[in-house]
Amino acid sequence: MKRGMACLGMILALVLLLGTAGAGMAEEKEYINGIDPNFPPYAYVNKNGQPDGFDVKALDWIAKEMGFKVRHQPTDWDGIIPALKAKKIDMIASGMSVTEKRKEQVNFTDFYKEIVVVLLAGNDCSRTVEQILAEGNLVGVQRGTTEASWMKDNLLKQGAKFELREYDSSPAAVADILNGRIVAAAMDDVTALDAVKKKPVKIVGPLGMEEEYFAYAVRKEDTQLLKTLNDGLKRLMASPYWDELKQQYDVQ
Amino acid sequence: MLEGLTIVAGALPYLLGGCVVTISVVLGAMALGLALGIPLAVGQVYGPRWVRAAIGVHVWFFRGVPLLVLLFLFYFGLCAFFDLNLTAFTVAIIVLGLISSAYQSQIFRGGISAIPQGQLKAARALGMSDAKAIRSIILPQALRLSVPAWSNEYSIVLKDSAVAYALGVTDIMARAHFVASRTYQHLPLYLAAGLIFLVLTYIGLKALKILENKVRIVGYSY
Repeated sequence: MKRGMACLGMILALVLLLGTAGAGMAEEKEYINGIDPNFPPYAYVNKNGQPDGFDVKALDWIAKEMGFKVRHQPTDWDGIIPALKAKKIDMIASGMSVTEKRKEQVNFTDFYKEIVVVLLAGNDCSRTVEQILAEGNLVGVQRGTTEASWMKDNLLKQGAKFELREYDSSPAAVADILNGRIVAAAMDDVTALDAVKKKPVKIVGPLGMEEEYFAYAVRKEDTQLLKTLNDGLKRLMASPYWDELKQQYDVQ
Repeated sequence: MLEGLTIVAGALPYLLGGCVVTISVVLGAMALGLALGIPLAVGQVYGPRWVRAAIGVHVWFFRGVPLLVLLFLFYFGLCAFFDLNLTAFTVAIIVLGLISSAYQSQIFRGGISAIPQGQLKAARALGMSDAKAIRSIILPQALRLSVPAWSNEYSIVLKDSAVAYALGVTDIMARAHFVASRTYQHLPLYLAAGLIFLVLTYIGLKALKILENKVRIVGYSY
């Protein structure tokens, strides 16, 4: 009985120790980058189980150049800004668009990519963007993205009659296009191109939003980190590695 | 179809790596549930009225609020409120452990109630204090009787651990989801994840069955 209790106590202690050891034991300050792990080609998990992607590799280069350590933490996109503010992560480098609303919560670095949001549909879809955004059609979008809020504020509130389905990731929406649950899905052009390469889907056309820009996000009080990232980004964009990255991940 | 199988085969080491995370979460949660469940059960059977009421509230709360709600409440809500920097892994163990303690306390309460009252009376007649009687006579028997129900709880906690994916714990489910996002092979991957969970359940239940047979009280009629 006593031995059982002691065993129990040891297992519990061991497991909790193993779990939290990683969190506490870094001597050198390691920054944690929150990524959406379901956002190829910017951030995803590769065959070897490692975080990979355009933003992951770019940040690794910047970290090496500017002399800090970084670790990439898969985080739910929906809760990524709360996670940043709660200090569970220190920055967000994961294909995040700059918006006024987000600027109220976080600070952004300089832009590094311009994107346009497009509608993706199956190869056999013969409709145009306007026809898709009409009555009776189900359109998918990733929850927590700028296109999701745009569609709600600018289309549905203005009387558009399509039905919006929210997914926790763009690839999940693509899977539903393929099995016919939804007609089309809205996502940014680079993610759409990634899907087009892998599955029988095609880009129908731009959704109608203004262009958006990607930048890294940090907490408002981390002015030093913001400066470091901006300097690093400038150096990265001036180096040949920038073009190499763009080619490797097919980001133009 | 073949492409799906190749993808799964390639990702298998990565998926199986998730077993370590899943098993750690399950072990931690079961241990926490056990450590709390036994005192809660004893308190509920032998304790004064206020203790029984307090335990009743604990059991009612952790059986009544959905797992996902509790996970988010602890991770985003309480951690921020009390300024605790707990990892998703730790929060998953704590929440699953607390919920399991509520269910396990009921399992052990059933086991304790199955012991004939005459045993406690005999113990008192021999001059043992209630505490000694419970620790040396009642509980050893009650726990042995509870093993079958406890292995049921194990399979439940194992399955519930997959929900920790929502907090970002990279267990089997999370890994299957990441690979599916990269490759769009949802069906083979989630089937594989389900299969891995089935195997883990089977192994655990088999082990617990061996335990059950080992600690059987010879002569008890069941």
